[in-house]
Amino acid sequence: MGEVPTVEPEISKNLLTLLIWADEIRTLGVRANADTPESATKARQLGAEGIGLCRTERMFNAVDRLPIVREMILAGSREKRAEAIAKLLPLQKGDFKEIFTAMKGLPVTIRLLDPPLHEFLPSAEELASELRNLKNLEVALDSMENISEALKYLDPSSRESLKLIEHTVTEITEIKEKKLDKKLIRKQQETLRKVKEMMEVNPMLGHRGVRLGITYPEIYRMQIQATLEAAAELMKEGLDIQPEIMVPQVCTAQELKWVCELVKKVQKEVEKKYGVKIQFKFGTMIEVVRACMRAGRLAEVADFFSFGTNDLTQATFSFSREDAENKFLPLYNQRKILQDNPFEVLDVKGVGRLMMITIEWGRRTKPDLKIGICGEHGGHPESVEFSHSIGLSYVSCSVPRLPIARLAAAHAKLKEKDKKPPEKYDPDDALSIFF
Amino acid sequence: MEIPKYVYLFEEADGTNKKLLGGKGAGLAEMTRMGLSVPPGFIVTTEACLHYNENKKNLPQGLMEEAQENLKTVEEKTGKKFGSSQNPLFFSVRSGAAISMPGMMDTILNLGLNDGTLEGLIQITSDGRFAFDAYRRFIQLFGKIALGVGEKEFDKILNKTKEKVRAKEDTDLDVDHLKDICHQYLALVKKRTGNPFPEDPMVQLRLAIEAVFRSWMGKRAVDYRKEFNITPEMANGTAVNVCTMVFGNMGFDSATGVAFTRDPGTGENVLYGEYLVNAQGEDVVAGIRTPKPIQEMKKEMPKIYRELERVRKNLEEHFHEVQDFEFTVEKGTLYILQTRNGKMNAQAIVRTSKEMVAEKLIDKEKAVLRLKPQELEQLLHQRIDPNFKGKPIAVGLPASPGAASGKAIFDADEAERVGKLGHKVILVREETKPEDIHGFFASEGILTSRGGRLPMPPWWQEAWGSLVSRDVKSYESIQKGERQLLEMFMSRKEILSPSMARGARFTWERSLP
Repeated sequence: MGEVPTVEPEISKNLLTLLIWADEIRTLGVRANADTPESATKARQLGAEGIGLCRTERMFNAVDRLPIVREMILAGSREKRAEAIAKLLPLQKGDFKEIFTAMKGLPVTIRLLDPPLHEFLPSAEELASELRNLKNLEVALDSMENISEALKYLDPSSRESLKLIEHTVTEITEIKEKKLDKKLIRKQQETLRKVKEMMEVNPMLGHRGVRLGITYPEIYRMQIQATLEAAAELMKEGLDIQPEIMVPQVCTAQELKWVCELVKKVQKEVEKKYGVKIQFKFGTMIEVVRACMRAGRLAEVADFFSFGTNDLTQATFSFSREDAENKFLPLYNQRKILQDNPFEVLDVKGVGRLMMITIEWGRRTKPDLKIGICGEHGGHPESVEFSHSIGLSYVSCSVPRLPIARLAAAHAKLKEKDKKPPEKYDPDDALSIFF
Repeated sequence: MEIPKYVYLFEEADGTNKKLLGGKGAGLAEMTRMGLSVPPGFIVTTEACLHYNENKKNLPQGLMEEAQENLKTVEEKTGKKFGSSQNPLFFSVRSGAAISMPGMMDTILNLGLNDGTLEGLIQITSDGRFAFDAYRRFIQLFGKIALGVGEKEFDKILNKTKEKVRAKEDTDLDVDHLKDICHQYLALVKKRTGNPFPEDPMVQLRLAIEAVFRSWMGKRAVDYRKEFNITPEMANGTAVNVCTMVFGNMGFDSATGVAFTRDPGTGENVLYGEYLVNAQGEDVVAGIRTPKPIQEMKKEMPKIYRELERVRKNLEEHFHEVQDFEFTVEKGTLYILQTRNGKMNAQAIVRTSKEMVAEKLIDKEKAVLRLKPQELEQLLHQRIDPNFKGKPIAVGLPASPGAASGKAIFDADEAERVGKLGHKVILVREETKPEDIHGFFASEGILTSRGGRLPMPPWWQEAWGSLVSRDVKSYESIQKGERQLLEMFMSRKEILSPSMARGARFTWERSLP
């Protein structure tokens, strides 16, 4: 029983023509969420005008990187951490160079590390169970050592296998002598301790995003350095590179300023090292309600905003997405307490209003502030239309949804003609907040 | 006080007012004004429907008088008389809301038939068989829709008679068989409703209008509006289209069919459709007889084919959109019974958009607007890997592109239940029936054993992204197979089931490409 393999669809010539017409009509930018050079290339083919979200943690999760990332997290001292980070720097720089090259001439938004660090570590349960196994091994090794006495009484016919057993015993003795088992156990215990230490009651609201960046400055520093060095090297090769550094989970202007200072410091170092002037933009994710309320100040530091509508929706509703979708949301939808799943269809009336306020206040500080959306919603036709109507500069969506976003953006522009701006306050209309 | 106008003749109605007249009514009005050959008739507006449903199921006062006046005009035009046994006039009564909700609402044909007018019909046509067949269809449809007598009870009578006389198809029944069926039908209606079948044509008309109005609030229609988020602003109430009957089953110079001004599967700029000679519309819609591709008409009815080509051009030039129209040929005369914007799959929308811009039928903006972003998703659906080599257990005709997989479920209720549990479901049915619509919504794909490639029942063309493959010949064998366990894969042309492929008992044949 199984499924037949399927292949990705191709874009026909006719569709391409239609999409080009759509591009001529639309005014809303369309970018892609892409984390690898392959998806960046694909995004370009599908008409992306840049990358609106490049998640750096995806690169941390690669099989060859994860051990180094763990080393960095578990490091007992600053020096040890610096060692691990030094190993990560060239890897991350390499990634960025490839992505920048694939997207040359177009902006690429690099988001600094966002998830809580424990996401890169094995779980406490896993570790505890492994530890149990190791301890069992230790006991087994002890018993094996004592086996040689018993061998003397073996039936002659069984002596054939004697050599093998003797060989095994010798090896085991060697392991014991080197205390390999003990070492392994100790390492595992250490990891477990660290993991327990890092455990949070509510990790998604805990030590993550810019909070992490400020408490472990080496990590953000490395990522910023990798970004700017990658850019500098490519600029020297004559490529047009438009990097954008974006900070996640920001809730106060002070956080953003802190990172901004770090960026400036690293920028100076890199510019000095390569002898080039690096042009780039610095901005913030808007995914915390307080950030919306402080948009006016954030815009003093940021060149751009990017709405992370998934987290912003969680924060606005005080829902955790997984719990909501698994427990009560279906019933809420069924009973029409909520019309849609707000994680699939952008909640225009609530989250949309927050976005409107943010845009208004942000652009009062900086009229030409570039504002985008990079949440999952960015590729859904209704949300694209809404994004256009509230004056966003671009949407950033998953690569396969790019054609849909381009078309939806054209539709939004064409439908705009039939729509009148609100004339008075309407409790349900996000566009009428300032009456 | 001005009495509101609830009834409009086709030629006097404003064909742009879909909200008042419904899509079908507006189309009939437009076509009449364009000078296309539309049988005379009139429209009872959606406002009357709203009145009916808001006033404890009472028609607005004076509505039937208004209808009678319009009816007189139709009588004058056709030279026939409603209820006359000499030269009787018959009507089709069809519903039509502002937004096409095909198949969701009910249609009654041959309205006006009774024992008296039947005699007239026999005299005019000199065809007793045809007349009794029409009568039988009418009693069944009217009985089901207006009087609420179960369809299955009629079918039982029909099938029993067919068995008794060893008739394979309905067409194998002769006049005496049909006469006998009519009598049994009338007796059934009396038994179930306690009253004799209504003979008065005006009573029939009133009951039919009421039935259509009621169907607006019926479960099927309400479900459909809910599924597609059709709000009262988009469509509020259904109109009733009362149109002179024309008969496609008056012999071999008569026919009925449906056509698209372009191929809805590929978008190619050719007349596309299917027809049946000597048949009535419902034969086509129900998929009971497998129709012929319209290109065969070139040889069989060359004059009509040329006329259809002209109609195709006229319709597109007038509506600036691909049209999906129904036609009937009555003794060599072509009538257009309905037109509406053609529902196409995404691929066809894309191609027609581009070509219609080149032909200057539409501009680029309209071309872009024609393709809904949601429909574009259809094009971005996954397909079966062309390198995959598997043996299909059955082969059918595709009704939309893409591929889907899931558990084969053979019942719509069960499909809905399993689908709601979050399992992927392929609904397998003999044919696509409106009654199963809730099961369609819950399914990844739909597979039927009957029907042509043209998504024939018109409501079908809604093509809600679910994938459909039809005319699968080995439905029976699948049904005998491992039912619920069968994990099936459906593609453009093939059903592939790795687990079933080894079973030699499944015969499969390749049907038309």
